[in-house]
This record gives sequence, C-alpha cells and structure tokens, in this order.
Amino acid sequence: MNKIYILSVEDEVEVQDAIIRDLADFEEVFPIETAASAQEARDLIASIEKKGDYIGVIFCDHIMTGQNGVDLLVELHRKDYTRETRKVLVTAHAGLEDTVEAVNKAELGHYISKPWKKDDIQKVARTQLSEYILAKKIPPLPYMKYLDPIIMGEAIREGLIGDR
Amino acid sequence: MQSPKKIIGMVLAVLGLLIPILIDINGLTYAGEIALGIFFMAAILWISEAVPIWSTSLLVIFLQVLLLSNKSLLLNEGNLEGFAPPPYQTFYNSMASTIIILFLGGFYLAAAAVKYGLDKNLTRMMLKLFGTRSSNVVLGLLISTATLSAFMSNTATAAMMITVVLPIIANLKADDPLRIGVAMAIPCGANIGGIATPIGTPPNAVVLGALAEQGVTISFAQWMMIAVPIVVVVLFITWRALLIIFPPQSKQLDLSIESGWNTSPLAIATYIIFGLTVLLWVTDKIHGISSSIVAFLPIASMSLLGIITKGDLKTFSWDVLWLMAGGLSLGISMRYGPAEWLIGLVDWTMFGPVIVVCLLGFIGYILSNLISNTVAATILVPIAITMGMSGAVGQTFNWILASIVVGMMVSFSMLLPISTPPNAIAMSTGMIETKHMTRIGVVVGVVGYLLSILFGLFVWKHFIPPLPVAG
Repeated sequence: MNKIYILSVEDEVEVQDAIIRDLADFEEVFPIETAASAQEARDLIASIEKKGDYIGVIFCDHIMTGQNGVDLLVELHRKDYTRETRKVLVTAHAGLEDTVEAVNKAELGHYISKPWKKDDIQKVARTQLSEYILAKKIPPLPYMKYLDPIIMGEAIREGLIGDR
Repeated sequence: MQSPKKIIGMVLAVLGLLIPILIDINGLTYAGEIALGIFFMAAILWISEAVPIWSTSLLVIFLQVLLLSNKSLLLNEGNLEGFAPPPYQTFYNSMASTIIILFLGGFYLAAAAVKYGLDKNLTRMMLKLFGTRSSNVVLGLLISTATLSAFMSNTATAAMMITVVLPIIANLKADDPLRIGVAMAIPCGANIGGIATPIGTPPNAVVLGALAEQGVTISFAQWMMIAVPIVVVVLFITWRALLIIFPPQSKQLDLSIESGWNTSPLAIATYIIFGLTVLLWVTDKIHGISSSIVAFLPIASMSLLGIITKGDLKTFSWDVLWLMAGGLSLGISMRYGPAEWLIGLVDWTMFGPVIVVCLLGFIGYILSNLISNTVAATILVPIAITMGMSGAVGQTFNWILASIVVGMMVSFSMLLPISTPPNAIAMSTGMIETKHMTRIGVVVGVVGYLLSILFGLFVWKHFIPPLPVAG
C-alpha cells in the first residue's frame, strides 16, 4: 500500500506543533510531514514523489520568510504530481487579493483561520483526504477510519467498490 | 514501486505455476499438472494480493485457454495421457455463464435503485415500522440493512446505511455504547443479509455456479428457503448480542427520517421493474422461468428505457464479475486432477463426513476473515465437491451441503476491519475500534457456524436436490 502524506508547511514552531497535535490520530494511516519554508516543502515533496507515495493534503501558512504560501500553492497546482493534492490555507493574515488568487489559481480546498478548533481542523482533513482519494481513484478501504463517512458513503453507494 | 510483499507474492506465484508443470507428479496427468500449477499460482496471487484479485481471475482464464484447451501450446498427442482438452471457448464461457448474467441483472437493479433513491426510501419505510425505542431501532437497522443487502451488494448497502445512521449517532451522548451498537448493526446486517439470495453476495454465486457445473441446479427460491431461515435466526441473535455488548443508555432514539419518493416516470418504471423482477425470482417454482432469464428483464428493459445509461454502466463493479468468472473457470480445471490430488494428501476417512463439513466450514471462515470471501469460496468449493465425487470421505458425505456451508461461512466472517468492505466502511463512523468489531464478530461467527452445521445436518437436506448418482 502506497502512503498518503499529510504535509504541513509552517514557519512558526508553535503553530506547527498545534497542527501535528490536532492531527496526531490521523498518523495511524496518513503520515504527517512538516516543512518550515516553501523551499523545504519543495524538497520534501520531491523526495515523497521519488518514493512513489502520494501527498493527500497540504496545510500551508501564508506569511512565511521567503516565498509566501499562496505562491507555493499556485506553483504546486501547476505541477502534475501535486495538482490533485488538496490545498488548505492556514492563516490569520491573508489579504483578500491573495485569498482570491489561491481560490482561482490553486483551487484552494479550504481556508482555516487561526486559531482553529481541533474538531474543525480534523473535519477539514477528513473531507480533503476523502476528495483526494476519490480524485486519484485510490482504493479507499484501508483509510476509512479517517475519511468523511458521507462523502465516501455516497461514492461507494454509487458503485465505487463492490463486494469481494 | 512494488512493495517487497508483492514481489515475493509474484515470485512464489510463478514458481507455483512452473514447479508442477516441470516436475512429474505421481497420480496426475500432464494436463492435471498444468491445472495444479494454475491453481497454485491463482491461490498465491489471490491470497498475497500481489495483483488486484480480479486481474488474477483474468490471468487464470488466459492460462487455461493457452495451456489446457484444444488450442494448448503445451498439450499434444504425445502427452495427453487420456485427457480430452475442452474447446477453448469453455473457459471464455464462464464470463457469460448464467450466474454472471444473474449478477449483472442484480447490478442493473441496484444501480437503478441508487439512481432513483429507492434504496434510501425503502430503508426509511422499513425503519419507521420499528418505532423509536433504542433496542427496536437496532433491530430495525439490522433487518432493513439485511433486506437491502440481499438484493444489492453488501458494500453499497453498508455505505448507504452509514449515511442514514450518522444523524442518529450524532444525537446520542458521546459515552453512550448505543453509538457503537448502532454503527456495528450496519456491517452485521450487510454481511449476514448478503447470504439470503443468490445475488446477495458473490460467494453465493460461486457455490451455485460450481454446483451447476455438476448438474445440480438450485433455484432462486430454493436458495432462499435454505438461506433465509438461518439469516433470520443469526440476525435475531446478533441483535440481542449487540444490546448486551453495547448496552444502550438512551432508551429512545430520535429518528427524523422523511422519505421523499421520486415520482418521475423513469423512477416509477424502476419501482415496477424492480418489484416484478424480484417477484419473478422468488416465485420461480411456480412459473419455472430460470433466474438468469428473469435477470435479463431488468438488463434489457432498463437499457431500453434509459433508466440505465452508458454512463451508469461505467459505475458497475465489473471487477466483481471478472473475479467470479475466473473462480468459476478455475473450478473447471480443478476437476482435471488437482482437486483429487490435493484431497489425496490427507486420509479423510478417519474423520467421517460431519467432521469434514465442520472442517471445511472452519477453514472457509478463517480464510475469509483474512482474504476475499469470494476467493475463499472459490478455493474451497471445488475441493468440497471433489471430496464428494471421489468418494474420499465416504458415500454419505453430501457435497452439496458441504458447498453451501462453505458459502455461508465465508459470509459470516467479520472479525476485523479488513475482513469485508462493510466492516471497513463502518470504521468511517469513527465510533468503532477493532476490538468492538471482533467482539460482535465472534458472536456472528460462532452462531453462524453452529447454525449452518445444524441446519446442514437436519434441515437443508429437505430443500436441496438429491446427489447425482456417481458415474
């Protein structure tokens, strides 16, 4: 079974820790990797791609030293490997213009404003990972515990998988 | 990149194919050795899942055509040793055998039901009958899930039911064990209910297809007479067990379920065709039209009316049909010697017929907890049949009953999330830990096991056709 990663790009250590803590359960099937800058994220993505694994969702801060989050997401959206990867902007400070750009050019999946509630970020992760698995036609059963029951339920009801 | 486990599976599969062909095996003709090689290869690939299980099925058919048919690349006058290779079409025919057509008919009904919301509306209608008392709601969930999964795939039914029970679960207190009970009722109902009709789940088809190969036809209604009573009893016991293992705190459940029946002309046509097909299936004793002929009623009419479109066809689980077809085809060449050879490895006469049935059922149960139910049935049913035909277990061994017991036991296997798709789907509620599943899974397994042996010994013999006279 190929791994599906959750990627968190964030330059503030406390925020990064909060994401890892709130999504710790998911690591049972979705390993979490972290990067502190756009460049680090790019290297990390390249190494995951090389292993033949997937990146299901990226949680990305906007204001970071170096390249900002929206630019990184737009760039990743233009690459085949990360086109279907679900993109979530995690920020308190993205202006309207940047946000619009993220929605239009990176098909932003969700916008989480800081601070968030644990339940909310978990729900976002479930939804986004479900959408990714459906888009990439990955066999979903091993991941069900951390997927959205309604999204997956409807897809399976409509014939995604049969008895075996 | 392939994982090491997959690579090992592939290497072993190639060895499994080649060794019996290259090494002379006592008691097998050359064709029998080829057939044994194909069986080993298929079993290894199916168990290791080095490649998707349905693709193994297609490889089986291809190898049978290439190596065992009248167009064989290996067989010639010099090495036939009395074996008469069948026309190569024999193996292709398994892809359109009557049991596959029957299943295709089931796919049409299920797809149309989903498209027009018949599955959800029937569920709501049934659930309403059970009122709002917690314990009754659990029973209602078990029964409505089982009823639907008798006609739709267990997997699709479980997925649909999960969307129905989520609001119920959300309304319960976080520490109420009833949440687990409600969530577990879905896979229990789906797995058990699949046994009830020939089209309920693929292992039933594997049993019926293998028996039909031997000239034993069990009609749709006949299967239901065998299966429905045991399904009802196991469901009832499962219900009590769910309430004991996960005792409800809330005594009442808020069920705000509204049905919204689709009344468009195509939806109404769907209801009529669905009802008529099921009616014709369950009354086949009266009119005598075989179930696979009835199955073409939805196939033809729903295509003509545009209820099922080209786009809908693409959503069918064709992989399930190919998986079954390969299993049926493998069963054919198992009779060229391999089944008898495998059975010959053990002296069965020391066990006696009843113990052998118990053993087959037990192996089926354990295997199918870990691998595909269909594959477990595919491997074991031809062996059960040959045990009877060859007389290796004595003349009183009823291989028809043994096959049915195996077919049911693979469906009663639900110990782990990986055991069946409905189990995996139930995990998405977030309510269930593996230990919860194993607890109720043991009950279903043990009760299903004891009952299928008891029914097999005392009840089913009155419903099944007599054993064909040997020779």
